[in-house]
Amino acid sequence: MIRSLLALSVIALLAVALALAIGSVTISPSELWAVIQDQGSVLHQTLVWDLRLPRTLAAFATGGLLAVAGALMQVLLRNPLADPYVLGLSGGAAVGALLAMLGGMGALIISGSAFAGAMLATLLVFGLAHGTGSWTASRLLLTGVVVAAGWGAVITLMLALTPSYKLPGMLYWLMGDVSYARTPWPALVVLALAVVVIMPLARNLNVLARGSMQAAALGVSVRPLEWTIYLLASLLTATAVTTAGSIGFVGLIVPHMLRLVLGNDQRIILPASALAGGTLLVLADTLARTVIAPEQLPVGVITALLGVPTFLYLLHRSR
Amino acid sequence: MNSQWLSIKIALGFLVGVIAHPLVADELQRCAMDDAGQELCLAAPAQRIATLSPGATELTFAAGAGDQVVAGVNHSDYPPTALKLPLVGNHTRIDVEALLALKPDLVVTWVTGNPPAQMELLEELGLPMFAIEPRTFEGVSSAIERLSTLAGTETAGFAEAERFRAGMAEISEQYRHAKPISVFYQVWETPLMTINNEHLIGKVLQLCGGVNVFADMPRLVPRISPEVVLEADPEVILTGSVEGASDQQLDHWKKYPRMSAVAKNNLFFVPSSPISRPTPRLLEASRDICQKLDIARAR
Amino acid sequence: MSTLHTRDLIINVPNRADGFALNMSIESGQVWGVLGPNGAGKTTLLHTLAGLLPARSGQVILNDSALTDLKRRDIARQLGLVFQERQDSFPATVLETAMIGRHPWLSPWESEKNEDLQRAQQALAAMDVDHLSDRLLSTLSGGERQRVAIATLMTQNPDIWLLDEPTNHLDLHHQVKVMSLLKDQAALNKTVFMCLHDLNLAARWCSHVLLLYTNGDACWGPANAMLKPSALEQLYNQKLITVEVDGAPVFVPVCSSSSS
Repeated sequence: MIRSLLALSVIALLAVALALAIGSVTISPSELWAVIQDQGSVLHQTLVWDLRLPRTLAAFATGGLLAVAGALMQVLLRNPLADPYVLGLSGGAAVGALLAMLGGMGALIISGSAFAGAMLATLLVFGLAHGTGSWTASRLLLTGVVVAAGWGAVITLMLALTPSYKLPGMLYWLMGDVSYARTPWPALVVLALAVVVIMPLARNLNVLARGSMQAAALGVSVRPLEWTIYLLASLLTATAVTTAGSIGFVGLIVPHMLRLVLGNDQRIILPASALAGGTLLVLADTLARTVIAPEQLPVGVITALLGVPTFLYLLHRSR
Repeated sequence: MNSQWLSIKIALGFLVGVIAHPLVADELQRCAMDDAGQELCLAAPAQRIATLSPGATELTFAAGAGDQVVAGVNHSDYPPTALKLPLVGNHTRIDVEALLALKPDLVVTWVTGNPPAQMELLEELGLPMFAIEPRTFEGVSSAIERLSTLAGTETAGFAEAERFRAGMAEISEQYRHAKPISVFYQVWETPLMTINNEHLIGKVLQLCGGVNVFADMPRLVPRISPEVVLEADPEVILTGSVEGASDQQLDHWKKYPRMSAVAKNNLFFVPSSPISRPTPRLLEASRDICQKLDIARAR
Repeated sequence: MSTLHTRDLIINVPNRADGFALNMSIESGQVWGVLGPNGAGKTTLLHTLAGLLPARSGQVILNDSALTDLKRRDIARQLGLVFQERQDSFPATVLETAMIGRHPWLSPWESEKNEDLQRAQQALAAMDVDHLSDRLLSTLSGGERQRVAIATLMTQNPDIWLLDEPTNHLDLHHQVKVMSLLKDQAALNKTVFMCLHDLNLAARWCSHVLLLYTNGDACWGPANAMLKPSALEQLYNQKLITVEVDGAPVFVPVCSSSSS
């Protein structure tokens, strides 16, 4: 177990180093080493410390948040192909962000608005699913899907009414774009705290995955655990979406593929998801900002292009 | 006697230099107010200007600072020499690394068109930012003058601004008593979009004695249905033609032969980018539109 | 050694009037069989005894404490349940599934130890599914999954074993094997309480029987007292012929019209 986590950590570090070296301006390993030692040209120092490092850390944190949230959602809904957005959370965040953009607000208010929208969406689905008494995984899922569609309708309306010059910005946000991230620290802190909080609960998740009745029969307090997972997954997703918009497929693909390789023990899958999700998004973002440079692609395009064939492959395998 | 004279001259020269130096030094600091209300002061004329929209590129070249521009974005295609500029992305998404690598000392941006998050980042990195977005003809002249101040090319810039001002004034005078004629300007075919009179195109129409049938719409670029155009029944329909593409954007109006504009064949094309950008080419575009309206009036 | 008592227990079957109040003593060493037609409430009773469903009235007492006063974890250490319907959609291997049986015995920070692993492996071997240890549960047949479920309960090793139709999907060989295993566990002072749809299994293997009728009536007691043809015919609304084999009755359903 430790070995696979160590291997993933090493790969993550390599990916980060790669991201720091590659860009519209290539920095050779020796030049990178010079910058790390506080030497090197002013341009290189600015590029690495002020541009690439914050962006890479933001990409890592966002990828990790989405992958862990995806793993949690998959257990919560007992569905190995669930993703963090299935309960409509990204829709609420999108409406919040787009409203702020319509109002011409700055980046900070856009982020705050996105977060508020995400939490509102969470509470809405929670409240609706709670409805009359008991809520099951399938009730939660159905409620979430309907609410997600509702948010989608509002977003479409907003896109139809917005002045044309605001559209590109909104579309980039909806596709997911790490260049929006102004600072990586909130996302990194939330990710670290979340992993620390979830680890003692990880074995309970293994049991919960076998069914809520089975889990209750084995001594798990099912309802509090499900609430905790739901709120935690929502917080992680909200933070990710607030940082870089709604990036797709990472939350779905990463935990699923890790389970194929590392088994189904959540005590391994959860930390591994954080590492692998982060690595994946760092690599995808590096690709997004260099593949047709100086044109910049939103990272959501890369994850979608990689994600769709991967998803089809997983679907094929699961038969 | 000569050496005495010489030393007095030297002393006087020195005195003048000492007194004049602060004044000269102040003159070297160049300040201008941008269209977002921020004042920018540069210690020396900008030598490495990055222009982050096609309009900004054109205006900077018009200000006489073309040789000092080091970066453009996609579609920075006028004047033709601008096509050789290194590109730093699209106006909606800038490649910040490529921009930094070019070491600009002035970044000319578009108030509403550039992404706010990236503009904030550039400001934080300490780049001098100057946002422009002319909304009136005077705004165009002013932008050229302010840019030339920052670039140290006042002679060329102010001359160009004056040429534009004078030209527009001449057109205004020429068409002051022209017979009003109703006009519909089609920005885009599907969805059907037009402009109100807040937009520069609307102001050009007004200048030529045209009455924009959608002058008072609340939004700058409203999306409308063909029905309201039929109802307004303009005498002239104008649209921008794109270079290289065939001019079919007005063909769909020919389905309504009883429309005044269609019946009198007052369907006109004007080159798209001069009319759409807030630059000195508006002068030529205005003359073009005014002439077309005259043709229409004759029919 | 643990005992389950029910005190005036009335189970909550939705849209049905209150049934007969159950006052049973389910003690160690006993093998109980619950018989009744579909819809009589057998699964509801089992879940109520496990504390997973609230009773309509009355109490379930586990040793000396009311079930409602105990924490779920403490209950899980003394009482285990094999469900009739299971959710097997989330991926897990056979071994991982058996291992969750150790969950009530481990604190949150503890990892499974070797002895836990051995228990699980022994349980899987006893159920003839150890050769499938690394297979995904979803790739197994119904019978194999049933045996894994029972192996999980064995791994949990509580004092009280509740099982809901444990012989579902099992072939004859494994039906006998499972019932025999349950009888052996009772002999080791475990308490076994299960729902059965096959009254012949009850006749052969159970020491005590509870009859649950569709309208809520119930009667319980030692097997030989309960397994009277008249009562059973009324229970199942089916005519039966009784035969004796090997000292135990066998009940054969017959058609009411005979061809001559």
